Amino acid sequence: MNTNLKISNVTKIYPGCVANDNVSLEFNSGKIYALLGENGAGKSTLVKILSGVIIPDEGKIYLNENNLNLNSPSDAKKNDIGMVFQHFNLFETLSVFENLIIDSDEQRESLREKIDLIMKKYNFPIDLDIPVLNLSAGQKQKVEIIRCLIRNPKVLIMDEPTSVLTEQETSELFLSLKKFSEEGILIIYITHKLKEVMQLCDEVAVMRRGKLVSVSEIKNENIESLANKMVGQNLKTIKKKKAKTSSDQLIKITNLNFTSEDPFETNLMDINFSVNRGECLGIAGISGNGQSELFQVLSGEIISEKKSIEFNNNYIGDLNPQERREYLMAFSPEDRLEQAAIPQMKIFENVALNNFKSSNFFNNGLINENKIKEHSKKIISDFNVNTDNIELKSQFLSGGNLQKLIIGRELITSPDLLICFNPTWGLDVGAINYIHETLIKINEQNKSIILISTDTDELLKLSDKISVIHKGKLSKIMNAEEVTSEKLGILMGGAN
Amino acid sequence: MIKIVKRDQPSKAIFFFTPVLAIFLTLVAGGLIFFILGFKPFEALKFFFIIPIADTYGFSELLLKATPLCLIAIGLSFCFKSNNWNIGAEGQLTFGAIVSGGVALLFYEQEGFYILPIVILAGAIGGMLYASIPAILKTYFNTNEILVSLMLVYVSKLILDYLVVGPWSNPEGFNFPETRQFSDSAKLPLLFEGLRIHAGIFLALAAVVISWFVFYKTYLGFQMKVSGFSLKTAKYAGYKGKKMIILVFLISGACAGLAGVGEITGPIGQLHREISPDYGFTAIIVAFLGRLHPVGIIFASLVVAITYLGAETAQIFMQIPKYTGQVFQGMILFFLLASDYLLFFKIKFIGSKQ
Repeated sequence: MNTNLKISNVTKIYPGCVANDNVSLEFNSGKIYALLGENGAGKSTLVKILSGVIIPDEGKIYLNENNLNLNSPSDAKKNDIGMVFQHFNLFETLSVFENLIIDSDEQRESLREKIDLIMKKYNFPIDLDIPVLNLSAGQKQKVEIIRCLIRNPKVLIMDEPTSVLTEQETSELFLSLKKFSEEGILIIYITHKLKEVMQLCDEVAVMRRGKLVSVSEIKNENIESLANKMVGQNLKTIKKKKAKTSSDQLIKITNLNFTSEDPFETNLMDINFSVNRGECLGIAGISGNGQSELFQVLSGEIISEKKSIEFNNNYIGDLNPQERREYLMAFSPEDRLEQAAIPQMKIFENVALNNFKSSNFFNNGLINENKIKEHSKKIISDFNVNTDNIELKSQFLSGGNLQKLIIGRELITSPDLLICFNPTWGLDVGAINYIHETLIKINEQNKSIILISTDTDELLKLSDKISVIHKGKLSKIMNAEEVTSEKLGILMGGAN
Repeated sequence: MIKIVKRDQPSKAIFFFTPVLAIFLTLVAGGLIFFILGFKPFEALKFFFIIPIADTYGFSELLLKATPLCLIAIGLSFCFKSNNWNIGAEGQLTFGAIVSGGVALLFYEQEGFYILPIVILAGAIGGMLYASIPAILKTYFNTNEILVSLMLVYVSKLILDYLVVGPWSNPEGFNFPETRQFSDSAKLPLLFEGLRIHAGIFLALAAVVISWFVFYKTYLGFQMKVSGFSLKTAKYAGYKGKKMIILVFLISGACAGLAGVGEITGPIGQLHREISPDYGFTAIIVAFLGRLHPVGIIFASLVVAITYLGAETAQIFMQIPKYTGQVFQGMILFFLLASDYLLFFKIKFIGSKQ
C-alpha cells in the first residue's frame, strides 16, 4: 500500500530563532528522501515534530490524508512513524532483548519470534541476550532499527545515522534502507553529508536557516549544486600550492607505544614517523582507531618515554602540554566544547588556557588580566572571530567562531608545530574554508602541521604526506600526490 | 500578549538584581502565609525581620549566626565555582568540631595561650580530612560527590552522638549527652561584655578577603576554575586537575571545620548533640544567594541569619513553630532559582495582534 506523508505549513519558533519557517513537504513511499542542511538549519526540529518530540506552533501533519495529532513520541509510534535518533536511546546495562521489549506490550515469546524473523530477513546478526554496552555503534543502531521494525512502521526516519558508523557499517546500513524502501516503508534520511545523499537517496529537500530551500530529484543534482544550496554561497575551491620540500627535520617519533588501562581506548603500537619543517603530515583513519590516543600522546596529555619524541633536537616525551608549549608546539584538540575551550568561561579566560612563559599571563602566581585581554583582542582581530566583546562567554560563539578562536589562540605564539585533530568537524563551509586557508598559510611560513582527521577530502587537500592509522598502527607514510581517496579507504579498512 | 524571548547573553544587572528580587518575593509570599495563618502580615513580618535585630543584643546575635554561615559559604563557593557539588558542609562542620573538641578536651584542666590556636587548627584539619573523602572518591573512583558528601553528614552526626553519649561524656555530667566544658583557654574570646559575639567573626572576614584574592587574582584560582569545569581541559592546558578538585574540597572542608570550631569554642563551650542548626546546609543557600561572590556572601549570610532569629522571635511572640525559619530559607532558594530564569530569558509585552 502506498504511504503518503504530508507536512503542511509547519512553523516552530524558539526564543531567539525560527527553527522551522512555514515548511511544507510531501513524501511518498517507494522512495528514499534526504533532508539536507547544515547544523542548525532546522532539520532536527522538523523530524522531532514528525516524531512527536516537539509540538509545532503552527501547521499540520497528514499521513494518508489523515490529520495526525502528534503530541508525544508514543503518538508517533501509534501512527506507524518510527524514528532512529543520532544519539541512541538504549539502556546500556540491559540486554538487547530487554531493550527491545521495554516499550512493547506484546507477549515476550511471540515478540522473540518476531525479532528473530526480522533479524534473519535483514541479516542483522545480533545476540539478543548480551548487554547493549558490549555492542558496537553499528550494532546499537541495528537494535534501534529493529525496535522500529517490530511495529511495522509506514515511515522510518533516520537522523544523521552514519556519524558513528564505520564505512563498512555505513554500506550495510544503506543496503538495509534500500530493502526497507522496496518493501514499501517510506524512508526519510537526515544528513549533512552530501556524498551519502548522492549515494542513497532518490529525492532531496534542502533546508537553510529554518526554511525549505529546494526539493529536487537526485539525478538533477550533483555535490556542488547541493553544497551551494545548503550554504547559500558559492564554494571556493582552495588548492594547496606544492610546498617547497625541506629536509630539515622538526619532530621525530621513535618506537612510541601506549597501552591503555581503559578497554574502550585503543593501544598505540610502535609508532614511527617524522615531520620536516614546512610540511603537513595528514593522519587518516576511521574514528576510534587510535587517533584520540595519538593526539594525547603528541600533546603530552598522555606522557610517554622521554626519548620516544624528539622535537627540535630535544627529547620531550615525558613533558606535559604546558611544558611542550615552551618548545613552540601548539595543540588543537577535537572536542571544542569539552576540551579545547570552556564554554562557561569568557573569551579572554579561554585565551589564557594557552599559557606559555613569555606570554606573561600569570606573574608570580597572579593573573595579569590586562595582558590576557590585550592578547585576546589581537587574536579576535587577526583570526576574524566574529565578536568584539572579549568578556563574552565562549558558549555564545558559533562553532566556527569558537574554532577560529582556538586556532588563533594556538597560533598566535607562532609555534613551529601545530597538531590538530578534526579541526573542521561540524563547521559550516565558510568556517571550514577559513580554517583550511589558515592551515595552508602556516605551511607557507615554513611551520609544520600534524593533521589528524577523519575527513579524507580535507586530508587530501591539505597534506604533503599522508599516513593511515588503523587499530593503533600507522601505515607507511606516502606522498600526498600518490594517494587517492580509494587507496586511503583500503588502508583505513585495515588492508596493506 | 506576553512573550518569552531568549537573551543573547545574560544581563549583568539582572545577575545582581535577582537575589534582591528573590528576597522581595520571599517577603511577599511570607506575608501571604502569615495572612493565611490568621496574622496581620506586616506585623508578623516585623516580628520576623525587624524586632529581632532592633537592639544591640539582637544585632550581635545576628552577627553570631551569620559568622558560620558566611565562613561555610565562602568555602563552598570554591567548590561550587569549580563545579564540585559539596553538599556535606554540615558533616565537615561536625567532624571539624569533633576533632577540635577532642583536642580542647585534652586540655580541659590547662590554661595557656597556645591552646586556642591548636584547637582552631585541629578543627580546620578535621574538616579537611572529612572533605577529602568525597574528593578522593570522586577523583580516583568516579563516585558522585553529592551523594557521598551528603551521606557522610549523617555518619559524622552519629559519630558525634556516640562520642558525647559514650567515651567523651562528662563523668560528672549525670549522663547528659554532653562533654565537659572546655577550659577558658580553649574558648574564643568574646568581643563585648554581655554579648555572645566572639572572635570567630574575624575568621569569617579573613576567609572573605583571602577567598576573593585567591579566586579572582591568582593563577591557582584560575586553575581551580578550569579544572572544575572540565578535567579534560585542565589536562590539555597542563594543569593537575585532580589535585585541584581535591584542593577545593580541602578549602571548603577547612572553612566548615572552622565554623564548627567557632560554634563549640564560642557560644557553646562544649560538645553536645546539637552543635549546629544545619548551618552547613543553610550555607548552600547563602552561597547561591550571594552569587558565589565573597561580598555577596557577606550580605546573604546576614539576610539568611535573620531567618534564624526571626523564627525564634516568632515562636515566642506569635506561637508559630520555629521551623518557619526553614520555610523562609526554602522560599529564598526557590525564588532565587525561579528568578534566575530572567538571566537567560526576558519577558516582552507585545500589543495584541488582531
